[in-house]
Amino acid sequence: MNDTGYTVKIEIFDPPMCCAGGLCGPAIDPALLDVNEAVLTMKNQHGIRVQRHLLQQEGQAFMNNPGVLALLQEHDTDVLPITVVDGKVVKQKTFPSYEELLEWSGVEKKQETTV
Amino acid sequence: MSNQNTQYIFFSGKGGVGKTTMACATAVHNAEAGKRTLIVTTDPASNLSDVFETEIGHNIRPLGVDRGVENLWGMEIDPDRATEEYRERVLAPMRAVMPANVMTVMEEQFNSPCTTEIASFDRFVDFMSGDDESWDVVIFDTAPTGHTLRLLELPVDWSKHIEESAKGSGNTCIGPVASIQENKIKYDEATRLLGDSTRTEFTFVLQPEGTSIYETQRSAGELAEIGVQNTRLIVNGILPEDVCDHPFFQSRYQMQQHNLERIRNEFSVPLTFMYQRDGEIKGLDGLRHVARDLFSTGEHVPEYVLGTQRAADEPLPYEEQDSRSLLDTVRPVNGKTRAVFFTGKGGVGKTTVSCASAFALGRAGFKTLLLTTDPASHIGQVLEQEIGDTITPVVGAENLDAVMIDQEHAVEEYKERILSDAKARYSEDMLVAVREELESPCTEEMAAFDKFMWYVEREEYDIVVFDTAPTGHTLRLLELPFDYADQVGMMVTTTGEGNTAKSETQARFDRIIAQMKDPERSSFGFVVYPESTPVIEAYRAMVDLRAAGIDTQFVVANQVLQEEYCTNDFFRKRRTMQERYLGEINRRFQLPVTVMPLFETEITGLEMVERAADALFAGAVDRNQVSA
Repeated sequence: MNDTGYTVKIEIFDPPMCCAGGLCGPAIDPALLDVNEAVLTMKNQHGIRVQRHLLQQEGQAFMNNPGVLALLQEHDTDVLPITVVDGKVVKQKTFPSYEELLEWSGVEKKQETTV
Repeated sequence: MSNQNTQYIFFSGKGGVGKTTMACATAVHNAEAGKRTLIVTTDPASNLSDVFETEIGHNIRPLGVDRGVENLWGMEIDPDRATEEYRERVLAPMRAVMPANVMTVMEEQFNSPCTTEIASFDRFVDFMSGDDESWDVVIFDTAPTGHTLRLLELPVDWSKHIEESAKGSGNTCIGPVASIQENKIKYDEATRLLGDSTRTEFTFVLQPEGTSIYETQRSAGELAEIGVQNTRLIVNGILPEDVCDHPFFQSRYQMQQHNLERIRNEFSVPLTFMYQRDGEIKGLDGLRHVARDLFSTGEHVPEYVLGTQRAADEPLPYEEQDSRSLLDTVRPVNGKTRAVFFTGKGGVGKTTVSCASAFALGRAGFKTLLLTTDPASHIGQVLEQEIGDTITPVVGAENLDAVMIDQEHAVEEYKERILSDAKARYSEDMLVAVREELESPCTEEMAAFDKFMWYVEREEYDIVVFDTAPTGHTLRLLELPFDYADQVGMMVTTTGEGNTAKSETQARFDRIIAQMKDPERSSFGFVVYPESTPVIEAYRAMVDLRAAGIDTQFVVANQVLQEEYCTNDFFRKRRTMQERYLGEINRRFQLPVTVMPLFETEITGLEMVERAADALFAGAVDRNQVSA
């Protein structure tokens, strides 16, 4: 539940990275900066927290979601990152864009209906 | 069960001052007084096994049961094993369901340089959090000062990082904040114990020498900042007056007495004074000999003649090399810049040998840069001028510049660079997130290494002389490009831009690795003094370097007693011991060995540096002659 009144749980299962945001390593992939920016904007402008899971820290989370585990068992880590909305896999192999996060979160829909 | 009364005793100090010996003697003393005693070394190039003459390793082991000492255990924290244990704790539950390839990727993740540091540190904190076993006394024999200070500051740094991250992203390098609150409690407890003077005692070991006094003052100041209060000093290696009849040793004796006076005046903590022995201190008997003086009361008269002197071993035959060979070994070939690395155990004289070599090379006409990577460096003391973190010409020397890699400054620069890259493209919020992640203690290692690479890549010099930190940490520094290259290799890139960043970084690491492996562009040499531990340590390091594809090129045997001064039993015995190890050095290393004599005073000031340079490159050198 968030302050705008709808419940949605968005999770990103990250590929292996040196640290949480992948921002401390010897070379930073701009895609990591972009997804970080998107996640922050979701939180600050829409009050929606996108949860991120790191394989080596939260392996348990990867095992607990049957969809994620099945994908991993089939394709190995190549399939990461995986985005999951309310428990269902919605995207794999690349990070979601800000627009996609917005769409899944329902923010846009709500805005449309209120207009 | 935890023991609320465990006493923690830390031994620290500049390399080679006798930390390990004092720590071991203290351990034997406590154990023989009936206390359950554990001695732990946090030095990745530990000599504990050598001193106790028994293999110890990464597990807690009894040290003297078969030799009549009970209550005594020891452990050498091995960074690789600590990392493995840390990794297994996390990975074991996943092995059953995760496919093998995923497990492999995760295992590789744990080889990241940050994990290694965290794991060793975690093992150390475990001993401080008091829930290991009910020890009466835990003694820490630590790595040389610079890195020990870092180890002790880490609990404070991590605790703060966890706290800060909780307010921000909720994630840290070592896991989501929610799951590591436990660690924070552990780190806070360790920090509290370090500052509790009824539980923790901090012993600095030093020698009556200017550089040793300087380093002790500096470290005592830094320790006070993290709240350590209960400190004391052991002044070791004092020459007994009645053996200093030769003018050479009279001069050294006077120098020591002058420094002892300074120590008495400048430190207001308990002091203990220890004589140099006439031989090496090894095994339980040697340690008891030291403990008797260390814990003496009342009328005890200190004794410097070891009762346990080994049977007069025949010295192995050895040959002194033409010192010109060192110059041949390190001079630039085919106009390419050459990096010369002097490494070795703490206290063997890496800094003086580096300064003297750099001085001689500059004098011979090579444009030379002298650089130190040792956080506790004293090249400024040796050259008697301010050496900072920007390249400065050395006043009074020819063709010689010097610089010191300042850890804190390197971190600031590194952060600034990453942030300014990010500033152009991202929001203020994003910058906060990046800054937060950069606050992680791992950044420090990366930053110092980044700076190191920058200097390795300099091509405006003929020669860059590296005065490195003691062996263990230097090996680690030299392994970093390999580790980071692996890490970058695994880096996921999802964009073309990401791919470019990745391949540029990879190319840079590959270039550095190639340069270090190229014997024409890099020379690695060990400085030792002819005694057991420096020789064993250097030899192990040479083997490790070889495994990484780097061949060692030379050895400098430092502080060698000249025969003409050794006119009494005390020094004849020491000279015989040195000859035995000089032979051992030849036999083990099979490399050119340059002998550097012991001088009658400390090597400080350019006049002394020049004398040292003359001794090191005797008979050499002018540029025309060598480049012909």
